[in-house]
Amino acid sequence: METIKKIFILLGSLDRRIIFFIVGLSVLIPLLKPEWVNLPIRPTPESQIVFDEINNLNEGDKVLLSFEYGPSTKPEIHPMAIAILKHLYAKNIQVYGFALWPDGNFMSTEAFSEVSVEFDKKYGIDYVNLGFKPGQEAVITGIASDIRTLYTVDLKGTPINDIPMMKDVVNIEDFDFVFSLSAGFPGSKEWVQYACDPKNIPLSTGCTSIQVTDIMPYVENNQIRGILAGMPGAAEYESLVETELQKMKITATPGKATGMMAAQSIAHVVIVLFIIFGNITYFITRKKKRKG
Amino acid sequence: MFFKRQIPLLIVIGVGLLTLFGRFINNEAVRGFVSNDATQWFDIIASFAIFLGALNMLKLQLIKIIKKQKNWQYSILAVGGFAFAIFAGFFYRGANYITISDIQEGELTSVSGIIAEELNESNPFNIETKLLDSKDAYEIDKIFMTEGNAKIFMEKLTPYVDTITLNSKPWGAHVQTKGSLFYWMFINTITPLGATMFALLAFFVASASYRAFRIRNFEATLLLVAGIILMLGRVPIGNLIPWWVVSIMVMFGIGAIAAPFIKKRKVLLGIVGGGIIIFIIAGTLMGWNQTPPAFLSIPIIQDWIFAFPAMAGSRALMIGIALGIVATSFRIIIGLDKSVLGG
Repeated sequence: METIKKIFILLGSLDRRIIFFIVGLSVLIPLLKPEWVNLPIRPTPESQIVFDEINNLNEGDKVLLSFEYGPSTKPEIHPMAIAILKHLYAKNIQVYGFALWPDGNFMSTEAFSEVSVEFDKKYGIDYVNLGFKPGQEAVITGIASDIRTLYTVDLKGTPINDIPMMKDVVNIEDFDFVFSLSAGFPGSKEWVQYACDPKNIPLSTGCTSIQVTDIMPYVENNQIRGILAGMPGAAEYESLVETELQKMKITATPGKATGMMAAQSIAHVVIVLFIIFGNITYFITRKKKRKG
Repeated sequence: MFFKRQIPLLIVIGVGLLTLFGRFINNEAVRGFVSNDATQWFDIIASFAIFLGALNMLKLQLIKIIKKQKNWQYSILAVGGFAFAIFAGFFYRGANYITISDIQEGELTSVSGIIAEELNESNPFNIETKLLDSKDAYEIDKIFMTEGNAKIFMEKLTPYVDTITLNSKPWGAHVQTKGSLFYWMFINTITPLGATMFALLAFFVASASYRAFRIRNFEATLLLVAGIILMLGRVPIGNLIPWWVVSIMVMFGIGAIAAPFIKKRKVLLGIVGGGIIIFIIAGTLMGWNQTPPAFLSIPIIQDWIFAFPAMAGSRALMIGIALGIVATSFRIIIGLDKSVLGG
């Protein structure tokens, strides 16, 4: 019994460098060898709602895709952007890119250039990237009232009046759907408050895991239609889109989030195990202290 | 003092009241101001704020270097990074591209071969088709960061093409063009640095939860149990945890929550151990291996936590914050709170 106690005390008082090493391994191994950990992806009802909303759009509909994330949250949000674009392009929906964060410009450029080539989509006809403007919520209110008061040129410097797909677009009421790829402020909440709710435009979101509790009240009220919650949400959406593309007989490169879920799963299990060991040690040492 | 305090205060009160009541006044001019003009004013002020912020940052970092304050060495990196970003954004475009026209007769295959080699295109025929399809000048699908590199490539084409021009993407647009110095800086320094900072969180969370997540009292236990369920329920591995493992976790959770109220440890151990045995016998008899009940499924428990306790807490926070914003905004608009005017 004493030996077991000693082992638990040892496990519960590990040096933090050893913890870092174990966490590092638990993330690295599944990333390097994803075939070793094959986990089933179960779409949550919220992810399914997002998919159904986009799937119910018609060919030629207009979707506003807002990029509100940067390099730090790229691993979580970018796979969502890629999967959403694949879904929209497969359904021949026109995509209008905006960015509420300066970093969003780079994220949108990367996402559009990656997926547009794969689906053979033409700039200005199938998609346009209008880019970032400073002003946070004011940009959203500007898009809600008159896009041209804010945007005179697109990200490439082309006057927006010269872009074919911008001809009939005045404000947010000309869009059929809004999707916010959000990692904080300004983001999904502001789209609800300043544009989509007042103008009654359907909105869905993909956000980081830590934002989910903040955004869920809007999802429960149907002010946001479904939510892709962090990397699991991205993986779920990827699997739904993959199935849909197979049905449509479209071949596309597989998404990255599904592969990363194995790493996240193992890391979560390792952290839970550490918490359990830490608590067992805490109980044993507390008892000893009381006796002593 | 009058220009420093009273006038700005009057502007704040006037614009604040107009923007607030503009939502309720059915007048075209007022609505136009609230929806369009006010947002444009905000944009202009925000643009100036960026300049002010940048200058302030530069001033603080330079003072730190000059006075050799604590960790002044890092400030050199900050100033250096700032200067490099300004240089890449305003002074060095990169983003050079080449257009060709008037290919000499019979040299189409040679030209497409050279371009295919440069672009790592395995099939030169694709380039040949694009060259034939281009009505005017053909833009080679490669951006060169330096003019020198572009000119080296141009020399390869010169014997076969009559008109070759070297162009650069327009100022402003170059920032988003792959191959510009600014884009290179963002992708190769800011992106990995940002991702690294965020990734470090995983290590600190693991280490901190290992040391600090202790069953000290009822609230801490509740937090710990909910945290573990959410951590496992949010990832696919949560689906694979069998019902009997969850039932053991549930009993340990109940035990941990009940621990502060039950003084006798043996009684507590009996409750937890007995509960586990009852769960396992009941589950085996009721065939939970085939169809486990919802309350023993980690993802379903996780969904419940999100839908009810977390939602209630989140709504309470939102309502509290909203009331706070209303109160603060009202104090600013009526001139009671003058902190917006600065020192």
